Formats: sequence, C-alpha cells, structure tokens
Amino acid sequence: MINKLYPAAMAILAVLLAAFPCIGPEVYYLSFLFSIFMYVILASSWNFIGGYAGYISFGHAAFFGIGAFATAKMATMLELPPLLTMLAAIPAGGIAALVALIVGYPCLKIRGPYFSVVTLCFAFVVDLAVKNIEFLGGAEGLWIKFMDIPEKTSRTIMYELMFLLMVITLAASWFLGRSRFGAGLTAIRSDEEVAETMAIPTAKLKIQAFVLSAFFPGVAGGLFAYYLGYIHTDAVFNINISILIVLMAMFGGGGTWLGPIIGAVILTVVNEGLSTFAQAEIARIIYGALFIVVTIFMPNGIIDFFRKKDGMT
Amino acid sequence: MDAVLIIQSLISGIMMGMVYALLGVGFSLTWGVMHVINISHGAFGLLGAYMAYSLLQYFGVDPIVSAAVSVPLLFLVACGIYQLLIRPITRAQNVVMASMILTFGLAIILENVMAIIWKADPRVLTPTYSSGALILGPFYFQYPHVVGFGLSLAGITAIYLFLKKTYTGMAVRAAWQQPEAARLYGVNLYWISMITFALAVSTAGAGGICLALLNSFEPHSHNLWLINLFLVVIVGGVGNVIGTALAGLIIGVITGLSMAFLPFLWVNLVTFGLLMIFLIFRPHGIFKQEGI
Repeated sequence: MINKLYPAAMAILAVLLAAFPCIGPEVYYLSFLFSIFMYVILASSWNFIGGYAGYISFGHAAFFGIGAFATAKMATMLELPPLLTMLAAIPAGGIAALVALIVGYPCLKIRGPYFSVVTLCFAFVVDLAVKNIEFLGGAEGLWIKFMDIPEKTSRTIMYELMFLLMVITLAASWFLGRSRFGAGLTAIRSDEEVAETMAIPTAKLKIQAFVLSAFFPGVAGGLFAYYLGYIHTDAVFNINISILIVLMAMFGGGGTWLGPIIGAVILTVVNEGLSTFAQAEIARIIYGALFIVVTIFMPNGIIDFFRKKDGMT
Repeated sequence: MDAVLIIQSLISGIMMGMVYALLGVGFSLTWGVMHVINISHGAFGLLGAYMAYSLLQYFGVDPIVSAAVSVPLLFLVACGIYQLLIRPITRAQNVVMASMILTFGLAIILENVMAIIWKADPRVLTPTYSSGALILGPFYFQYPHVVGFGLSLAGITAIYLFLKKTYTGMAVRAAWQQPEAARLYGVNLYWISMITFALAVSTAGAGGICLALLNSFEPHSHNLWLINLFLVVIVGGVGNVIGTALAGLIIGVITGLSMAFLPFLWVNLVTFGLLMIFLIFRPHGIFKQEGI
C-alpha cells in the first residue's frame, strides 16, 4: 500500500513545488528553497559514490566549484547572452565529469579513509590552483552579467531550473538504487573482494558512479554561479561545503534514496533557522551538538533509525 | 639563491614538521587502535594553546610549566569525553564514519566556545624569552621556536618509550595489532581505548602549545592544523610513531624548501599536490614495517 502511494505522493509534491512561484511568494522563500534544492542535488549525487559504493569522498565541493568556474569562464570569454549562460552549465557539468574521470582513475584504487583524504587533498589542490592561476579567475573571482529583467522573474527562472535539475538528479538516484548498476555498487560497499570474485567489474562501476556523481554538482555549480552573479573561490571551493555534503548524506542515511534528501532538507532548514534566531557562535554550538546527538542515538542515519522502529530492517 | 637562506628555511621547516609530528602521533594512535578519526584533534591542540596563553597572560606562567598543568587536565577531560561520546558510537556499522561526524560536531563546539572565551583575534604566545634568539654562525633561531622543537621532540620520545617499555603501552600495541588475541590474554580493551584516546588528546594539547610557540593562532586555526595532521599521519603510516616523526621531518623539509623557492601561495599547493601523488602510489605510508 505504502509502496504504491509513495510515487504518487512524490509526484504531487513535485507539482506543488514547481507551481510554488505562481502564488507570488517573497523572493526570500524562492532563494531559501533554491538553496535547499541545491543541497539536495549535492547530497544525492554524492550518495552515488559515497553512499551506494561506500567510497566517502571529501572533495565533492571541488566538482561544484569546477562547474561554477567553468560556467563563469564560458560566459565571460564567449560573451554569451544570459539565457545561454544557463545552458553553459550543462557543458560545465561535463567538464566536472571529465575531471572526475581523470582524477577518479588513480584515486578510486585507494580504499577506506585513504580515499577520503586523497579527495580532501584534491579539493584543496583545485581551490589553490584556481586561486593562483589568473586565467581561471585568480584571487579576484569572476563576474557574470545579469539579465535585464526584474529580480523576481530572474529568481523564479533560477528556482525552476534548479528544481528541474533536482528532479533529474533524484530520478537518476531512484533508478540507480533499483538497477543492476546500483546493486553492483552496493556489493562493492559490502565487500569489494567478494564482489570482484563474483565477476562484478568493480573498477568500471566505481569510475562510472564517480563520474556521474561529479556531473550533477557541476551543473548545479553552473546555476549557482549565475545565481550569485559573482563567483569567488571561497564561495564554491570552501572545504566546509565538502564536509557538509557528506554530513547531510550520512545524517539522513547514506546508501538510501531518501536519506540524503532528508539530511539536506533538515540541515539546511536548521542552519537557516539558527542563523536567523541565535547569535552566531551559539548557533554554531547548537549545530555542532546536533551532530553529536544524532550520531550517538542514530549512528547509522535517521532513515535507519526509523526503519528499525517500524520493524522493517 | 643564498645558501644560508636555504638552510635557514630548511631548518625552520624541520622544526615545524617536528611539532606537527607531536600533534599527529595521538591522531595516528586513535585512528590505528580505535578506528576513530578524531576531527576535533586539532581543536584540542588549540585548547591547550589557549590555556597556555591565558596562564601566561594573567599569571605569568611559562608555557613549558603550564603544559604540566594543561596536559593532565586534558587527559581527564578526554576520559570523560570518551565515556560520554566515543564509547556509544563503537556500536555503529561504520565506526570510522560515525566518529568523523561526531568529532566534527565536537570540533565546531570547541571552536565556538573558544571564540566566545578568547575572541576571534589572532593570538601569540610571548614568553619572557620570546625576543631572544640562538645564533649559530650565520644562522638565527628564535628561542620560542627552539623551545617548541625541543618540547615536541621530548614529547614524541616519551610516547615512544611509553609504548615500547611500559605494560600499558604494550597492551595498547597489542590491542592495535590483534584486538581479539589481546583480549584473550587479559587485556581490557575498554580501558586501553580510553587510555589511548586520553593520551592522544593530551598530547594534542602539548602539540598545540608547541605550535603556538611557532605560529600565531585563532579559533579556526585547527582546520589548517588538521589538514597538516592528516598529511603527517598518512605519510608516516597510521599507528606508526617513528613513522609519524620521520614524516614530520620529511614534510618539514618539503615545506621549508618550497618556502625558499616558491611564492607563499604556492607552498600549500605543492604540499597537497605531493600528498595526493603520494597517497595514490603509497597509501599505507612510506615505511614497510607495520607496527609502532
């Protein structure tokens, strides 16, 4: 019963969210939902490699940043009109995926925490390289031309585009979780040696998952660059974004479809709420305590906790 | 390039590397023995540095002396934290991951508590001898740097001797190599974990004081410290004390040389790039020997 209602409920929710700008909400709410969509995309696509395959990447913000800078660079170099810039986010995602292919090939041979550290270093290297190379933007960052339309209209367009990307990402995540490909990744997470002996092409699956998980953040980064209008390394390569993505996915429950969504929504809302209602340091302390409480009481994520309660382990 | 200048920055790099090695030893031990990656390790180091700062500022206590107070204090605090926070998560499916999330939260809390108490301004430890310097021929070393280096060398030696010579230290090594066998031989794994964790946190405090003698610090400095910790520990091999010390020296030499030859912004790029390449080819450290 629940399984039949589930897609229907999701579809209704999607239609409602898509129609949300029609009721003329304030720009603040559009921006707020925009950032929720963005983090859902980041956490869900991280989940391809981090959750299903168990390869915890701590450098996923690098792909987000690569997408942002590639879009900004294309926009400024080719002097694209604003609407085309948004489409430039797609090849920018391609560039992020290409980087993932090159980096992933040697890195995915390393397992466990070592993989996490190498991806962390990768994020730093990309950040520092962009900062130091003038062609890529340098320390000053890049400006993108705004559209000549009212702020509300442009925000609505950004909202719908990010929403569309989120739907595509979640659809990919949904099918991945139910495909042979996803099953292969889960096998890698459970025991890579056994998976290999069972003739699962582990190396190929891992690289495919990694490339796919870099593509969506790349496109999201492109949209985000356009949304900000000005892009700086600190805004997109910040190590905290990388860590936040991992925490969102693990917080909700890695390796499930719903986990990263729940984690991303809760943490973004909590972050926003705390920064509005509490003093900065106090807000951060409460935020930190949240991680501790959740790990102690739900060490395997929120989803797992509620599943156990329902007795459907 | 002036040869004197190169040697000077090489030695500065080595001093720095040694201090990171002291910070890294504890990090390496908790990772190796307990499979807990303590993201808040750098923050505890910073706490040690701030305690030394306050004791120096208000009571005129020298950092070396105050280490004798703050290190045992941190040991006790860490025992409490182990009981309250770390022990419950050893049930998780993925202890490494759960510990990283939990200690990440702990690091955020510590950072902001420190920001409330000591404000976000950069601080420096200025003991009475801070303006003096040791002059050896053409070379010039500030006394705080020499003291920090000496203190960290002593700290690492002490940990090494503890692990090699004492009964408890041997039990820690046994728990790291063969937890089940160690349990069969009557090693209380629970106690060993607690001692390892507390030892790691207290040496982090000592390392933090040493680092504060070399550099200025502020509440968010622990992030940068943590990255250097990962660097030292991975290159040295997880759980390997001598390896960690040597890795500190190697990384110190690399940082020193790149500081002499490259513009400042490129130094970190070179360091992280090297670590990445290193990890790809030798993920388990430079030393073949598996052990402490």
